[in-house]
Amino acid sequence: MKAFLTLLRREISAYFHTSMAYVAGIFFLLVTGMSFWVLITQLARDPAGGHLTGVLFGSDWFWLAMLLAPPLLTMRLFAGENRQGTLEVLMSAPITETQVVLAKFFGAFFLFLLLWLPTVAYGPLLRGSGADVSTLVWGPVASGYLGAALVGACFIALGLLCSLLATHQISAAMASLASAGILVAPGLLGVQPPKGLPDGLVQFLSSPQNMQDFAAGVIDTRAVVGYLGATLLLLFVAIRILEARRLRG
Amino acid sequence: MDDAERLIDVQQVTRRFPRCVALAGVSFSVNRGETVALLGPNGSGKTTTLRIAAGGLAPSTGSVRIAGFDTLTQWMDVRRRIGYLPEQVPLYPEMRVVDYLRFRGKLHGLRGTRLAGRLRDCMDQCGLGDASRRIIGTLSRGYRQRTGLADCLLHRPDVLLLDEPTSGLDPGQSQSVRDVLRDLGRHCAILFSTHILTEAEDLCQRVVVLTAGRLAAADSPEGLRETYATRTLEEAYLRLTTLPPLVRNPTARSSE
Repeated sequence: MKAFLTLLRREISAYFHTSMAYVAGIFFLLVTGMSFWVLITQLARDPAGGHLTGVLFGSDWFWLAMLLAPPLLTMRLFAGENRQGTLEVLMSAPITETQVVLAKFFGAFFLFLLLWLPTVAYGPLLRGSGADVSTLVWGPVASGYLGAALVGACFIALGLLCSLLATHQISAAMASLASAGILVAPGLLGVQPPKGLPDGLVQFLSSPQNMQDFAAGVIDTRAVVGYLGATLLLLFVAIRILEARRLRG
Repeated sequence: MDDAERLIDVQQVTRRFPRCVALAGVSFSVNRGETVALLGPNGSGKTTTLRIAAGGLAPSTGSVRIAGFDTLTQWMDVRRRIGYLPEQVPLYPEMRVVDYLRFRGKLHGLRGTRLAGRLRDCMDQCGLGDASRRIIGTLSRGYRQRTGLADCLLHRPDVLLLDEPTSGLDPGQSQSVRDVLRDLGRHCAILFSTHILTEAEDLCQRVVVLTAGRLAAADSPEGLRETYATRTLEEAYLRLTTLPPLVRNPTARSSE
């Protein structure tokens, strides 16, 4: 546990010692700011209509942030270390592959949650501006954040795996973006998944639909289990790949 | 020396890559208190040998035991006992020297006053006192080398595996690294690769010569000079690495 915490601290501090945390932070603030602007526009147009959390957690701007932030946060995790050669030295210390993968995952996930922190101020800001926020109910807001965290965790695990498989940070980011895009694009573009797919998979492949449910205050256990399961599976695969590299070189 | 003192035991190690055989049936050992140099032309398998010994690369066949522990199956015990310095000295460029060494010490289970003491000792030993607060990315090659070496020493390993530890250093820096190795070599097993033959002669009880992935010789510098009737190790090395493999050294243990 102590080695894990040491690794986790280094992972988090590495974000702040490089420009990555700041780039991701500025980008995220801009995009979620646009989402906030859409929210204000909606309130001005129709103060009582629609559910505001659906705008906050379901707009195109929201998905842009969700798709681009995880690749930015994960691209260097393994691809960067491999390129610098630091992974070989790191793995010469008495630590396990599981500790390394989990420390990198939780480091990136912590940063991802940190990126969301400023959006907590949106509610009080709206209230302070005198807007009618009676339709902004805290239950759906909380479940919306839960949904964003679950989808984010899954995309970060996907990005981590891409970073492990790629030889270059840019290709890791591209692969991560493309594979997360597959989960989001059908829902956003209204494309029906191919017939014959299991219901659970169809549910999982409809990230925008799932987020709409979360934003409406509906916590669907299938979606929760789906995202948690996918995150664990991706992390497990990453650990096994790292172990296989040690065993086979 | 009995088996308990054999800290590095390389047995019939072959390592195949998709397009080449980097090592072919190489066997040798290094005992406690012994410093052994890995010599050979570029591409002869020195780095591959060190990576396999450090557990970073698995042998295709054969085995490496560090302090009696197999690098493949008992890798955690191996990692606790080695200090490994790759050739390019990969370090985190954004960290300060002292923070990097503290991080590495913690990974090796050092904490509190023990960690602080080891940090002080290793930085003094490697001449890093005045660079302790500097960002690694701004360090010269020499200081990076010293930082990597200090990292290797933090947890008092039994075995040091160093890939060209003095490459790129100026004569003064090389001398100080050699002094550190000479001091450590009394109670550790040190296996290091080098192209500087005077360094091997100066530091080592034995040298292991590899050519094209095969063991060409494993003997003391004096023994090699006598065997090949040369005045210097360099002449013996040149004869070893330019003669056809079968006549290089009939006594060397090599399966292929």
